[in-house]
Parts: sequence; structure tokens; C-alpha cells
Amino acid sequence: MSEAEAYSYDAEMRKENRKKAVAGRSVIFKIKRCDGPGKPMRWESFKVPITDGSNVISSLNWIAANPTTVDGQQTTPVVWDSNCLEEVCGACTMVINGRVRQSCSCLIDEYAPLEGDVITLEPMTKFPVVRDLWVNRDRLFNNLTRVKAWVPIDGTYSMGPGPKATHDLQQMRYALSECMSCGCCLEACPQFVKVEDEEKWDNAFIGAHAISQARLFNEHGTGKRLKGERMDELISEGGISECGNAQNCVKVCPKGIPLTESIGAIGRSATVHSIKKFFTK
Amino acid sequence: MSTKDGLLQRHHFLLRRLQSLTGIVPIGVFLIMHLTTNSTIAWGGANSRAHGDGWVDRAVSTFQHEVSFINDMPLLLLIEITLWVSIAFHAIFGFMYVLSSSNNMTSYKYGGNFRYVLQRWTGMLGIFFIFYHIATLRWGWSWAIPGQTEWSHEFASSTFAAAIQGSTEGYTGLGLLVSVFYFLGVSALVFHFANGLWTAGITWGLTVSRGSQKRWGYVCAGLGAGLMAMAWVSVIGFATLDYDRALDAEMGRSHAEQTLPEQQHKETVTQASNEEHNGG
Repeated sequence: MSEAEAYSYDAEMRKENRKKAVAGRSVIFKIKRCDGPGKPMRWESFKVPITDGSNVISSLNWIAANPTTVDGQQTTPVVWDSNCLEEVCGACTMVINGRVRQSCSCLIDEYAPLEGDVITLEPMTKFPVVRDLWVNRDRLFNNLTRVKAWVPIDGTYSMGPGPKATHDLQQMRYALSECMSCGCCLEACPQFVKVEDEEKWDNAFIGAHAISQARLFNEHGTGKRLKGERMDELISEGGISECGNAQNCVKVCPKGIPLTESIGAIGRSATVHSIKKFFTK
Repeated sequence: MSTKDGLLQRHHFLLRRLQSLTGIVPIGVFLIMHLTTNSTIAWGGANSRAHGDGWVDRAVSTFQHEVSFINDMPLLLLIEITLWVSIAFHAIFGFMYVLSSSNNMTSYKYGGNFRYVLQRWTGMLGIFFIFYHIATLRWGWSWAIPGQTEWSHEFASSTFAAAIQGSTEGYTGLGLLVSVFYFLGVSALVFHFANGLWTAGITWGLTVSRGSQKRWGYVCAGLGAGLMAMAWVSVIGFATLDYDRALDAEMGRSHAEQTLPEQQHKETVTQASNEEHNGG
């Protein structure tokens, strides 16, 4: 089973749902709401009329225009984060029916085909909630800086063209480069737990996305100059050895990135790096 | 900013890799040897015909032979202490990892996630079982054995059968409980070892590609199935062993008739008397 298939492992069920979708129906959106950081969570339900091609974002737009719950209570519009609306930016990631994914690409026909079917929306649980379905993913980006997930080209003179890469290497790196920093792998990871205190982020698990990005740049002709520094971070507390091999990350990755292969590859680099350090440092 | 200067932080990677390593060497290697020895209670009777005694008698003798061999090993206490320290280290750090993780099996019902959760539960059941096993049979906590029978390495089969059956007279209620506990305990440990060996492949970076992880998975599953069979026949073998019969075999009181065929008997006697004449 490829990662892409694994991601949509219930794709058959969703295809079936699409076939039996009833035109002109209304479905219930059960949404976990929160007024701000530290505020209590509460559930509110909304009845939303479904049109052809409705997705979660279009339904949230309808709720924003008609913020009345099923009990007839007037409420505030539901807040969410979104940007590209075509599953390449990762901003609208949320927990839909208990599983993390992007809401823009989540078709209502696949999740709630019949009149009165319920879709639950929750914010991601591993990041602090800003409001309602909007979370602060700063820790995710902080962890990318921990492994210096970039190519060092700054200097006082032109360094000329970069080194040539083989076709195989390009193919391998292309798959890794598709990461959009959405946070699905972190949400589904049992080893990546929520850390409220920003001071403690650097000691907590770095996450599959950062491990995979470290591999992407370690394999780059110029990027490998920072390999030693990346590996130093990855063999410290919160690094590669926090991984528990549950392999949920690769199953939920919407881009089908071979995250578990990256974890194995970085595991190998860590073995070599630590032995090298033992004898040379 | 928080620092990584504490003792555990500075040696974080080394400690984690040692935790992984100790699971394979010495603990995993010992598990394989231990199950090989113990399962002789089931297959040790295979050469009973050559010895002219019964299957069970020969199995008991074979097991006793193995136990005596182990007890005669030089520096046995050093080997034991190495194992105890390794197991304690593996378990203490294992508990720390369990406490620092969260479980999301209800949302993400994947096979890998299930094995991840099971690895943690089998570890916790396993260490509880190992402690009971070593405490009662090696450290002499016979008060924790139903019937308070003591285990002796000179009567290894019979006294162990009594320890897990609850008495020397056969099963008691508590004995049945201990037998079931042994069955669950060894099953948990075999799974923990086989699955741990699979994840160690990724941890150490031996299995990088998806294909290699899959192939290594088959190897570990095969090894696990073999060890599971050995573990189960060991427990079933001792749980169904008759105390008196085992004791007789250990005392050299065979239940089988030990007579040589007529012709052979005559030859043996003649040969012996000839030798006596020549030697005299």
C-alpha cells in the first residue's frame, strides 16, 4: 500500500458516499468552539444546506453568514484559518470526524451524503487554539529552524551555480520537498505531545516533518554543509530518538511523503554521526 | 531558552540507543536461549527410544540436563547480574517513554499504531511477569508461589510444575491463575521482542526503504511466530506435567522397563567376564 493509498485508505467508503449523496439536503456541523487562549471549549451545532461541490470551507462560509445554532441561538461566526483553498498551504488543517486533514479539500458528499448526517470539526489538539478552529502552528516552524531546514547561500560573493544532482536524487528529494508544513503528521503522532510553554519546545519531540526536511537538505549538494549541525540537534533531547515508530505520520500525510523512510534514513545518519563523534570529537 | 545540560539530556541519545540495544543484547538473545531450554519439556522426549524410557521421562531428564549445565557455568552470577541490570535499565527507561507519550488509537486505527500501543502494554505486563518469575524462582520468594512450594534447580521440572499448578497434588485455583499469568506473560514478552526487533531496524537505520521495512517485518514476524510456539509449548508442557512422574524421572526411577534384548544381554555378560579374566 503506497502512502497515497494509505492516506485515503477509506477512499472506497468515501467513493460510495459520493454516489449516494442526496441533492438539496442539509447536514449538521458539530463544531468545537473556543473564544480564545485559555477559554473553555464548548460544542455548537449548525444546520447547513448543501449545494453541489460543497466542502467544509464553503460550509464554514455559510455559517459565518448565518451564525445561528440548531437550537435557534444567535452566536458569533466560527473562526478558522485558510489561505490557498487547494490543499497546498496547510493553513486550514483541522480534525474532521476525528481525523486530521485539510478542510478545503474535504467534500461534504464524501463525509455526509444523507439528510441530517453529522460532520464534527475540531481544532488540532497539538497546538494552542487561537480561536475556534484556528490554531497557532509556531512550534512547527520553530522546529524547522532547529534543524536549519534551508540551504546556506548567504555570503559576500557569488558562489556560482550549485552542484549537479543525479536524476534519482532529484526524484527522492522532490517527494520530500512537497511538505507544506500543515501539521497532520504531528497531530496524528502519539509521541508529539502538546507543549504549552514555548521555553520547552526545543527539548520536546521535533516531529516527522522536521526530520524529513533535515533529510531533504542533508541530501542537497550545498545544503549538506550544515549536516553536522542538523545531526547534532537530531541526536539531542527531542530529536530522532523520541520517535516511537507508530508510523501514523506517513498514513495521514496528505502529500504522501515517505516520512517513515526519512526517519529510517535520519536514524542511519544519527548512528554514523554519533560513532564518528565518539572517535573524532 | 531551556537548556540541554542535565545528565539525562547530555547523554540522551546514548541512553536511548542503549535502551534499544539492551532489548536485543543481552535480553533478546537470552530470551531465545531461555525458550530453547524451557521448550525441551515438550520436545526433549524425542530421543526417548534411544534411552529406552518414556517421552515424559526423557523430556524431564533433558530439561534437567540443560538446567544442570546452566548451573555449572562459570561466573553464572555475573551473567545473572548483567541480565538483571539490563532488564532494569530497559524497563525503567521504557516506563519513562510510556509516560511521555499519548495514545490515539481511537482516532487512528492503523496496524502500526496498534503495534505501538501493544508494545507499551506488553512491556509493562512483561516486566511485571519477569519480576514475579525471578523473585519466586531465583530469589526464593516462595511465599508468592501458591502452595509455597520451593523451586530447586536439582528437581527443576517437578518443582516448577508444582509452582505453576499450585501444589504437588495437581491444580488449585490459584495455580490455574499463575499458569494463565505465565501464558500471558511469555506471549507478551515474545511479541515485545519481535516487534522491538522490527522497530530497532528503523531506529538504527538498517531498514530505510519501505520495502526493507516490510521484508524485515516478515523476518521478525517469522522469528516471533517460532518463539511464540516455543513459549507456548513450554508453558503447556509444565502446566500439564505430573509432579510425581517428573520427580521419579529426576530421581532416576524410570517408568519404562529397562531390559536388554536376550542375545545382546548374553554377549555383554560374556564380554564383561572375558575382560575380567584378561585383566586379572
